[in-house]
Amino acid sequence: MTEDVHTNGGTDSHETGSQDDGGHLPPKSSVKRWLVTTNHKDVGILYMITSLFFLVFGGILAFMIRMQLWQSGPFILTDLGYNQIVTAHGLLMVFWFLSPFAFGLANYLVPLQIGADDLAFPRLNAVSYWLYLFSGVLLGISFFQGSSLPTGWTLYAPLNLPAFIPPVAELGSMSGILALALFIASVTIGSVNFITTMYRMRAEGLRMRDIPLFSISILLTVWMMLFAFAALLAALMLLSFDHVFAGEVGTGYFGSEEGGSLLWTHLFWFFGHPEVYIVFFPALGVMAEVVQTFSGRRLVGRKWFIIAMALVAIQSFIVWMHHMFLTAINLPIKTVIMVTTIGISLPFDLMVFALIYTMIKGQVRWKTPFLFVLGAIVLFIIGGITGVFLGAIVLDYSFRGTYWVVAHFHYTMASGAVALVGGIYYWYPKITGKMYNEFLGKVHFVAAFVGFNLLYFPMFVVWDTPRRWFHYSGTVAPEIPFTNITLFETGFTIWHQMATVGAFLFGFSFLIMFYNLFVSLYSDRVVDESPWAYTGSAEWAVSSPPPEGNFPGTPSFATGKLSFLDRAETDGGTETAATDGGVAHAAQSHEQHADHTSWWPLGMSLTALILGLGISGLEASYFVWPFLFAIPAFVAFIGIFGARSDGYTHLHGAFVGAAVPLLALFALVFHLHHGIPGGLAEANQYFWISLIGITSGLGTLVAMGYESFHVPTPTMSEQWPFEGVSNTKLGMWVFIGSDIILFGAFIGSYIFMRIRANWTQWWDIAHNNGLTHHPVWPGLLNTYLLLASSFTVVLALAYAKRGSRRGTVTALSVTFVGATLFLLNKGIEWVDLYIHQGWQFDSGPAASTFYLTTGLHAAHVVVGMLIMLFLVARAYTGAYWSDGEDAQTIEYFGLYWHFVDIVWLFLFPLFYIL
Amino acid sequence: MAVSTTQAALEFVGLLEAQYWIAFIAILVLSALKAVTVAGWYMHMREEPRAITYLALAGLLGVVALTAGAGYSVL
Repeated sequence: MTEDVHTNGGTDSHETGSQDDGGHLPPKSSVKRWLVTTNHKDVGILYMITSLFFLVFGGILAFMIRMQLWQSGPFILTDLGYNQIVTAHGLLMVFWFLSPFAFGLANYLVPLQIGADDLAFPRLNAVSYWLYLFSGVLLGISFFQGSSLPTGWTLYAPLNLPAFIPPVAELGSMSGILALALFIASVTIGSVNFITTMYRMRAEGLRMRDIPLFSISILLTVWMMLFAFAALLAALMLLSFDHVFAGEVGTGYFGSEEGGSLLWTHLFWFFGHPEVYIVFFPALGVMAEVVQTFSGRRLVGRKWFIIAMALVAIQSFIVWMHHMFLTAINLPIKTVIMVTTIGISLPFDLMVFALIYTMIKGQVRWKTPFLFVLGAIVLFIIGGITGVFLGAIVLDYSFRGTYWVVAHFHYTMASGAVALVGGIYYWYPKITGKMYNEFLGKVHFVAAFVGFNLLYFPMFVVWDTPRRWFHYSGTVAPEIPFTNITLFETGFTIWHQMATVGAFLFGFSFLIMFYNLFVSLYSDRVVDESPWAYTGSAEWAVSSPPPEGNFPGTPSFATGKLSFLDRAETDGGTETAATDGGVAHAAQSHEQHADHTSWWPLGMSLTALILGLGISGLEASYFVWPFLFAIPAFVAFIGIFGARSDGYTHLHGAFVGAAVPLLALFALVFHLHHGIPGGLAEANQYFWISLIGITSGLGTLVAMGYESFHVPTPTMSEQWPFEGVSNTKLGMWVFIGSDIILFGAFIGSYIFMRIRANWTQWWDIAHNNGLTHHPVWPGLLNTYLLLASSFTVVLALAYAKRGSRRGTVTALSVTFVGATLFLLNKGIEWVDLYIHQGWQFDSGPAASTFYLTTGLHAAHVVVGMLIMLFLVARAYTGAYWSDGEDAQTIEYFGLYWHFVDIVWLFLFPLFYIL
Repeated sequence: MAVSTTQAALEFVGLLEAQYWIAFIAILVLSALKAVTVAGWYMHMREEPRAITYLALAGLLGVVALTAGAGYSVL
């Protein structure tokens, strides 16, 4: 039996039938299919193709780097050009190729491996993809804004600040930062989706521990992503404000004397070290699957392999300061981190031994996927061992900032890429239904393996070449580390030239792969379910490529083996919820109830790109205006889309009508600040781009909210340990988990700077910086208001469950009023502090941390208020409290709102009392 | 609300000036109490599977690790 649920904020309005194609997919030959699809296999293919494009993009930049290093002096690139290209190469390879490629495979394979029909939130999955694509586009656009980011992929402070970035690169730098932020939005949505799916939608009888190793590696990866990327998002948001308000009233985070640059390294590497494993874990999953298949046996020590992976995932969050041994952090913490760093190599040892021992115990078949995986293991061992050197404080003093680091991390991360290439060959027959050319595959491996080592090994030899330098000295001969013994008299140049030759060989080996994969698509080497002799996971039990609905019946592992049960008996035994006033017969496949298409993920993500581009050049004095002007449009959109979807009511008219005075109010305030029409005439084009982006973005969000989109949730599935929690509720909790880190990173930054400045003298310093009076009562009043508004949300839920429209609408409206008063009170407080007292963003760390942390909270309040407007309109027309839609939607919103309340409960003492 | 008022009152009566760190702990404990109440009752954490609590605690643990590590590193 299935239960029809409404996901992604979508609504259940059967009458409108808003899918232009009935929710079913156009054929694969149609371009439209690839623009509207939400099917996990399609999205997986889109991810893979797009990430391969970014591989080529980043690879071409790598060629330019290697060309520049062909000789010791200036060559093909300017200094700034080299800095941009090194930065973009790193960012593209780490963010836009490695992880997304793995997530292409994950999108395609995880639902198949766990016996699910799709991911829990298919529409959000499409949003993830399109945000990913457009974030990469924004990074590409940055090259055309004068100069892209020239900071290196680590964006170290203070070099990431406007004062240290050439003016020509300011716009492009901001675009780069915003591109990363968009990418993180994509990653976070994806993480929520995968976590929910894997915990709630496993086939009957499939325990967590029995999930195939590739999927387990993805599960651990998404957990790390969820927490690690939130810390980077916090860092990027703070950095954005340092940029946007630079030169006028700049916030003082990363340029602060109170450890600003150190703060960046903490935030960045708290993300950055888990990121290494985020990139590598899917490759580890591929290694495990491929080694099992081509050794013909189950992985030796499988349970311990999984435990080791889980240990690494947890430990990855307590080793980040080994990237900071050369900073001003104290020796005791360095020592602790050295221990945790050396410690993290132990579970990796176990995993590598498990892989090797499986090969020894099995009968190896030397097919292309296996060759790539074996090669990757060899490369990873080299990368791992050379990394342990860097984990030792004393050695790191010598190696930090040299090509030792460059060689080490390429051996580690690019070995992951080599394993993923093995994954391409391994699953290519499954995805396409055709077999690749084995001979060409092996030629590719030989060329890639030789090219890889020719590229990166010489970097160990000339390890003392300074990292990131666009010109290196050609006259210094390499020495054995810590000795004065000269190895060769040829200097650095010959080794860098070898690396350059290796780079071209490695790069061109991929042309063989592209040719092979493309030509094989049209070959007659058709495969059935599995071309491999030994496979253990569910994707190999279905045809190649798998059918649209993934499985011929409901998959079940209840008997210990995979079997497919009759869907009519398992899913469709009774009719589903309301279906156009009729009854869905048992024979109707669940597929017929599922929606698979939507234009809005593409539309919404495109508007995010436009907004990102707009913000990149938005002047500080105009910063809030596009957002404020978009609010009346949002209110009007609810009225218009609501009337179209739910039928016209007076409330919809009131929404459209309210937009006019609201716009007039904002226009009046704008006029007082800038003057109309003068202020509008003076606004640069980025103001207008931002306005278009945010207005259309909010429009697409409302449209998505009103779109009818059904996703059947199988009730016959394993849901441990989240039984009894609906998918949407779990998704909301997982999102809150990420938001805890986001807020935590803001609060942690405040605590860090306050400790650095002297905790108890903090407010004295603030008084010296212009603050005259910072009373407690505005904070206390806002605490009352937020607590009260949390209570009214609880009331709204209670009324909805009782079926009371008036109660539901009133309680939600009162919550909205409470939030409005909260913002009003905050506004009055800020006007007093900012204008009357002159305590501005740049008035020291106390001011910056106060405004930005409470500002982030206020932004959450505003988002909550916009959602409330939508809920009020929906509730007024019958949603939540009548039989149409579930009251749980209010509970899901309540989770968000209560969380915002909880955050304030800590901000209040930290920023008002202590 | 009474707890919040108490927190503000602790400052008002001058405890922060007299015994800063005792007042500091008291005020944060009171905040934690309020947060647990909101999470437990308003967010229904008490009624949900324990795994939901662990999920939130995992995020909190991450924050504590970052803040404690970074804060200690500059002591």
